[in-house]
Amino acid sequence: MATTATISISSDIAPGFGGISESMTLTQGGTLTDIDSTTGFSIRKLSATGAVDLVTMDDISNTVETKDSTAAKIYIRNIGYKGVIDKSVGVTVGIKAEAIGKLYGGDWLMMPLTGIDADDVTVNPATDDTVVIEYVMFYEEN
Amino acid sequence: MATTTAAVTLTSDLLSDEMSVSATTTCMKAGTTADGLDMMEYGYIDIVTGDQFDLLGSDDSTGSLGKPVAGIMANKANKVYIKNHSTDETYYVSIMLDAQAIGKLYGGDWMFIPWNATDDDKDIEITASGGTNKICYALFHEGKTLIAS
Repeated sequence: MATTATISISSDIAPGFGGISESMTLTQGGTLTDIDSTTGFSIRKLSATGAVDLVTMDDISNTVETKDSTAAKIYIRNIGYKGVIDKSVGVTVGIKAEAIGKLYGGDWLMMPLTGIDADDVTVNPATDDTVVIEYVMFYEEN
Repeated sequence: MATTTAAVTLTSDLLSDEMSVSATTTCMKAGTTADGLDMMEYGYIDIVTGDQFDLLGSDDSTGSLGKPVAGIMANKANKVYIKNHSTDETYYVSIMLDAQAIGKLYGGDWMFIPWNATDDDKDIEITASGGTNKICYALFHEGKTLIAS
Protein backbone atom coordinates (compact mmCIF):
# COMPACT_ATOMS: atom_id res chain seq x y z
CA MET A 1 0.00 0.00 0.00
CA ALA A 2 0.98 3.56 -0.39
CA THR A 3 -0.80 6.86 -0.02
CA THR A 4 -3.81 7.16 -2.26
CA ALA A 5 -6.59 9.66 -2.77
CA THR A 6 -9.84 9.04 -4.61
CA ILE A 7 -12.33 11.71 -5.64
CA SER A 8 -15.91 11.20 -6.73
CA ILE A 9 -18.00 14.11 -7.96
CA SER A 10 -21.61 13.74 -8.89
CA SER A 11 -23.86 16.48 -10.16
CA ASP A 12 -27.23 16.92 -11.77
CA ILE A 13 -26.45 20.43 -13.00
CA ALA A 14 -25.79 19.38 -16.57
CA PRO A 15 -27.92 16.67 -18.14
CA GLY A 16 -25.68 13.86 -19.29
CA PHE A 17 -22.79 14.70 -17.02
CA GLY A 18 -21.57 11.30 -15.91
CA GLY A 19 -19.65 12.46 -12.90
CA ILE A 20 -15.98 12.27 -12.06
CA SER A 21 -14.25 9.37 -10.34
CA GLU A 22 -10.47 9.43 -10.21
CA SER A 23 -7.73 8.07 -8.00
CA MET A 24 -4.14 9.03 -7.55
CA THR A 25 -1.20 7.53 -5.77
CA LEU A 26 0.86 10.21 -4.10
CA THR A 27 4.41 9.93 -5.38
CA GLN A 28 7.57 11.92 -5.17
CA GLY A 29 7.87 14.53 -7.88
CA GLY A 30 8.66 13.17 -11.30
CA THR A 31 8.98 9.57 -10.15
CA LEU A 32 6.89 6.51 -9.36
CA THR A 33 8.35 6.32 -5.85
CA ASP A 34 5.79 6.65 -3.06
CA ILE A 35 5.72 9.89 -1.15
CA ASP A 36 7.55 9.36 2.13
CA SER A 37 6.54 11.88 4.79
CA THR A 38 3.45 13.29 6.45
CA THR A 39 2.51 15.73 9.16
CA GLY A 40 0.10 13.11 10.43
CA PHE A 41 -3.60 13.72 10.78
CA SER A 42 -4.33 16.76 12.93
CA ILE A 43 -7.07 19.13 13.98
CA ARG A 44 -6.90 22.85 14.72
CA LYS A 45 -9.55 24.74 16.64
CA LEU A 46 -10.11 28.36 15.61
CA SER A 47 -12.16 30.81 17.66
CA ALA A 48 -11.36 34.21 16.20
CA THR A 49 -11.06 35.89 12.85
CA GLY A 50 -7.58 36.54 11.53
CA ALA A 51 -5.25 34.45 9.40
CA VAL A 52 -3.06 31.95 11.21
CA ASP A 53 -0.63 29.39 9.89
CA LEU A 54 -2.07 25.92 9.62
CA VAL A 55 1.25 24.60 8.31
CA THR A 56 4.44 26.58 8.69
CA MET A 57 6.82 25.26 6.09
CA ASP A 58 10.09 26.09 7.83
CA ASP A 59 8.98 24.95 11.27
CA ILE A 60 11.56 22.23 11.75
CA SER A 61 10.58 21.88 15.40
CA ASN A 62 7.30 20.63 14.04
CA THR A 63 9.18 18.17 11.84
CA VAL A 64 7.86 19.80 8.70
CA GLU A 65 10.78 20.51 6.42
CA THR A 66 9.69 19.82 2.92
CA LYS A 67 11.70 19.48 -0.22
CA ASP A 68 10.84 22.55 -2.26
CA SER A 69 8.77 22.52 -5.44
CA THR A 70 8.10 18.82 -5.55
CA ALA A 71 4.84 16.92 -5.08
CA ALA A 72 3.56 17.88 -1.63
CA LYS A 73 -0.21 17.79 -1.13
CA ILE A 74 -2.58 18.81 1.61
CA TYR A 75 -6.08 17.76 2.59
CA ILE A 76 -8.11 20.19 4.68
CA ARG A 77 -11.71 19.97 5.87
CA ASN A 78 -13.96 22.27 7.89
CA ILE A 79 -15.63 19.89 10.34
CA GLY A 80 -17.63 22.48 12.27
CA TYR A 81 -17.68 22.33 16.04
CA LYS A 82 -19.06 19.71 18.40
CA GLY A 83 -20.95 17.97 15.66
CA VAL A 84 -22.59 21.11 14.31
CA ILE A 85 -21.60 21.87 10.71
CA ASP A 86 -22.62 25.31 9.54
CA LYS A 87 -22.76 25.56 5.75
CA SER A 88 -23.37 29.31 5.92
CA VAL A 89 -19.99 30.37 7.31
CA GLY A 90 -16.54 29.39 6.25
CA VAL A 91 -12.82 29.45 6.73
CA THR A 92 -10.64 30.97 4.03
CA VAL A 93 -7.63 28.87 3.13
CA GLY A 94 -4.62 30.64 1.70
CA ILE A 95 -1.04 30.23 0.62
CA LYS A 96 1.23 32.93 1.99
CA ALA A 97 -0.92 36.06 1.68
CA GLU A 98 -3.01 34.75 -1.20
CA ALA A 99 -6.54 33.59 -0.41
CA ILE A 100 -7.43 30.46 -2.35
CA GLY A 101 -11.01 29.92 -1.31
CA LYS A 102 -13.42 29.42 1.54
CA LEU A 103 -14.28 26.07 3.06
CA TYR A 104 -17.83 26.23 4.31
CA GLY A 105 -18.97 23.73 6.91
CA GLY A 106 -18.27 20.22 5.68
CA ASP A 107 -16.31 21.37 2.65
CA TRP A 108 -12.90 19.89 1.96
CA LEU A 109 -10.00 20.51 -0.38
CA MET A 110 -7.05 18.59 -1.72
CA MET A 111 -4.34 20.60 -3.41
CA PRO A 112 -0.66 20.53 -4.25
CA LEU A 113 1.81 22.69 -2.36
CA THR A 114 5.20 24.12 -3.24
CA GLY A 115 6.60 23.39 0.20
CA ILE A 116 8.74 26.51 -0.11
CA ASP A 117 9.49 28.06 3.28
CA ALA A 118 7.56 31.25 2.62
CA ASP A 119 4.51 29.46 1.23
CA ASP A 120 2.80 28.66 4.52
CA VAL A 121 -0.74 27.34 4.51
CA THR A 122 -3.05 29.77 6.30
CA VAL A 123 -6.60 29.60 7.57
CA ASN A 124 -8.85 32.54 8.43
CA PRO A 125 -12.35 32.06 9.87
CA ALA A 126 -15.09 34.41 8.72
CA THR A 127 -16.46 34.83 12.26
CA ASP A 128 -15.37 34.45 15.87
CA ASP A 129 -17.50 31.34 16.24
CA THR A 130 -15.46 28.27 17.07
CA VAL A 131 -14.72 26.02 14.14
CA VAL A 132 -12.43 23.01 13.80
CA ILE A 133 -10.22 22.25 10.82
CA GLU A 134 -8.82 18.81 10.17
CA TYR A 135 -5.83 18.39 7.90
CA VAL A 136 -3.00 16.19 6.79
CA MET A 137 -0.08 17.07 4.56
CA PHE A 138 2.06 14.65 2.59
CA TYR A 139 5.48 15.73 1.39
CA GLU A 140 8.97 14.74 0.47
CA GLU A 141 11.39 15.06 3.30
CA ASN A 142 14.21 17.49 2.69
CA MET B 1 -32.21 22.60 -6.27
CA ALA B 2 -29.29 21.30 -8.24
CA THR B 3 -27.13 18.96 -6.21
CA THR B 4 -23.40 18.54 -6.56
CA THR B 5 -21.53 16.34 -4.15
CA ALA B 6 -17.80 15.82 -3.85
CA ALA B 7 -16.38 12.89 -1.93
CA VAL B 8 -12.82 11.97 -1.09
CA THR B 9 -11.21 8.90 0.37
CA LEU B 10 -7.65 9.17 1.56
CA THR B 11 -5.55 6.24 2.73
CA SER B 12 -1.94 6.04 3.80
CA ASP B 13 0.45 3.62 5.43
CA LEU B 14 2.95 6.29 6.45
CA LEU B 15 1.70 6.23 10.04
CA SER B 16 2.09 3.35 12.48
CA ASP B 17 -1.49 2.37 11.84
CA GLU B 18 -3.15 2.68 8.47
CA MET B 19 -4.89 6.00 8.02
CA SER B 20 -8.19 6.17 6.20
CA VAL B 21 -10.23 9.33 5.86
CA SER B 22 -13.46 9.77 3.97
CA ALA B 23 -15.47 12.94 3.54
CA THR B 24 -18.40 14.09 1.45
CA THR B 25 -19.72 17.57 0.96
CA THR B 26 -22.65 19.02 -0.89
CA CYS B 27 -21.57 22.12 -2.76
CA MET B 28 -23.81 25.02 -1.81
CA LYS B 29 -23.91 28.63 -2.90
CA ALA B 30 -21.99 31.01 -0.66
CA GLY B 31 -23.57 31.53 2.71
CA THR B 32 -26.63 29.41 2.06
CA THR B 33 -27.82 26.11 3.40
CA ALA B 34 -30.56 25.35 0.91
CA ASP B 35 -29.39 26.43 -2.52
CA GLY B 36 -26.83 24.36 -4.41
CA LEU B 37 -24.36 25.43 -7.07
CA ASP B 38 -26.25 25.44 -10.32
CA MET B 39 -23.82 25.95 -13.20
CA MET B 40 -20.73 24.15 -14.38
CA GLU B 41 -18.06 24.09 -17.04
CA TYR B 42 -16.15 20.94 -17.91
CA GLY B 43 -13.23 20.72 -20.26
CA TYR B 44 -10.28 18.75 -21.52
CA ILE B 45 -7.32 20.52 -23.07
CA ASP B 46 -3.71 20.08 -24.04
CA ILE B 47 -1.29 22.50 -22.42
CA VAL B 48 1.93 22.98 -24.35
CA THR B 49 5.15 23.73 -22.56
CA GLY B 50 6.52 27.17 -22.14
CA ASP B 51 3.79 29.71 -21.83
CA GLN B 52 1.61 30.37 -18.80
CA PHE B 53 -2.10 30.25 -19.53
CA ASP B 54 -5.22 31.29 -17.66
CA LEU B 55 -7.08 28.04 -17.19
CA LEU B 56 -9.95 29.81 -15.46
CA GLY B 57 -10.37 33.57 -15.49
CA SER B 58 -11.96 35.25 -12.49
CA ASP B 59 -13.57 37.71 -14.87
CA ASP B 60 -14.50 34.77 -17.11
CA SER B 61 -12.25 36.03 -19.87
CA THR B 62 -11.43 32.41 -20.73
CA GLY B 63 -14.81 30.96 -19.96
CA SER B 64 -18.10 30.57 -21.71
CA LEU B 65 -18.76 34.28 -22.05
CA GLY B 66 -15.63 34.75 -24.10
CA LYS B 67 -14.91 38.24 -22.84
CA PRO B 68 -14.19 39.79 -19.48
CA VAL B 69 -17.01 40.58 -17.09
CA ALA B 70 -15.67 42.26 -13.99
CA GLY B 71 -16.50 40.60 -10.72
CA ILE B 72 -18.57 37.85 -12.23
CA MET B 73 -17.02 35.10 -10.13
CA ALA B 74 -16.15 37.20 -7.11
CA ASN B 75 -16.71 35.91 -3.60
CA LYS B 76 -18.77 32.96 -4.68
CA ALA B 77 -18.50 29.38 -3.46
CA ASN B 78 -16.97 28.15 -6.72
CA LYS B 79 -15.26 24.77 -6.70
CA VAL B 80 -12.49 23.77 -9.11
CA TYR B 81 -11.33 20.29 -10.05
CA ILE B 82 -8.20 19.77 -12.12
CA LYS B 83 -6.55 16.51 -13.12
CA ASN B 84 -3.35 15.97 -15.06
CA HIS B 85 -4.10 13.01 -17.32
CA SER B 86 -0.56 12.82 -18.68
CA THR B 87 0.72 9.27 -18.44
CA ASP B 88 4.37 10.25 -18.11
CA GLU B 89 5.17 10.77 -14.44
CA THR B 90 7.84 13.35 -15.27
CA TYR B 91 5.32 15.67 -16.89
CA TYR B 92 3.72 18.26 -14.65
CA VAL B 93 1.79 21.49 -14.63
CA SER B 94 2.45 24.31 -12.21
CA ILE B 95 -0.71 25.82 -10.77
CA MET B 96 -0.76 29.46 -9.74
CA LEU B 97 -3.38 31.86 -8.50
CA ASP B 98 -2.81 35.54 -9.17
CA ALA B 99 0.92 34.84 -9.58
CA GLN B 100 1.15 32.96 -6.27
CA ALA B 101 2.48 29.46 -6.82
CA ILE B 102 0.18 26.81 -5.41
CA GLY B 103 1.96 23.62 -6.42
CA LYS B 104 2.56 21.07 -9.15
CA LEU B 105 0.28 18.42 -10.54
CA TYR B 106 2.33 15.58 -11.97
CA GLY B 107 0.90 13.08 -14.41
CA GLY B 108 -1.98 11.33 -12.65
CA ASP B 109 -2.42 13.95 -9.92
CA TRP B 110 -5.68 15.79 -9.24
CA MET B 111 -6.78 18.68 -7.05
CA PHE B 112 -10.09 20.01 -5.78
CA ILE B 113 -10.29 23.46 -4.21
CA PRO B 114 -12.72 26.22 -3.37
CA TRP B 115 -12.10 29.32 -5.47
CA ASN B 116 -13.43 32.59 -4.15
CA ALA B 117 -12.00 34.71 -6.97
CA THR B 118 -12.13 37.75 -4.72
CA ASP B 119 -11.24 40.10 -7.55
CA ASP B 120 -10.62 40.02 -11.28
CA ASP B 121 -6.92 39.22 -10.84
CA LYS B 122 -7.57 35.87 -9.17
CA ASP B 123 -7.18 33.79 -12.29
CA ILE B 124 -6.13 30.16 -12.03
CA GLU B 125 -3.00 29.95 -14.12
CA ILE B 126 -1.25 26.89 -15.49
CA THR B 127 2.16 26.20 -16.99
CA ALA B 128 3.21 22.86 -18.46
CA SER B 129 6.62 21.23 -18.16
CA GLY B 130 8.15 18.07 -19.60
CA GLY B 131 5.90 17.97 -22.65
CA THR B 132 2.35 18.64 -23.68
CA ASN B 133 0.16 17.90 -20.64
CA LYS B 134 -3.41 16.65 -20.94
CA ILE B 135 -5.60 18.46 -18.47
CA CYS B 136 -9.17 17.80 -17.45
CA TYR B 137 -10.91 20.49 -15.42
CA ALA B 138 -14.32 21.30 -14.04
CA LEU B 139 -15.68 24.47 -12.52
CA PHE B 140 -18.84 24.31 -10.43
CA HIS B 141 -20.21 27.76 -9.71
CA GLU B 142 -23.16 29.89 -8.78
CA GLY B 143 -24.16 31.02 -12.16
CA LYS B 144 -23.68 34.17 -14.11
CA THR B 145 -25.76 36.57 -16.07
CA LEU B 146 -25.17 36.42 -19.78
CA ILE B 147 -24.40 39.70 -21.46
CA ALA B 148 -25.55 40.94 -24.81
CA SER B 149 -23.10 40.25 -27.62
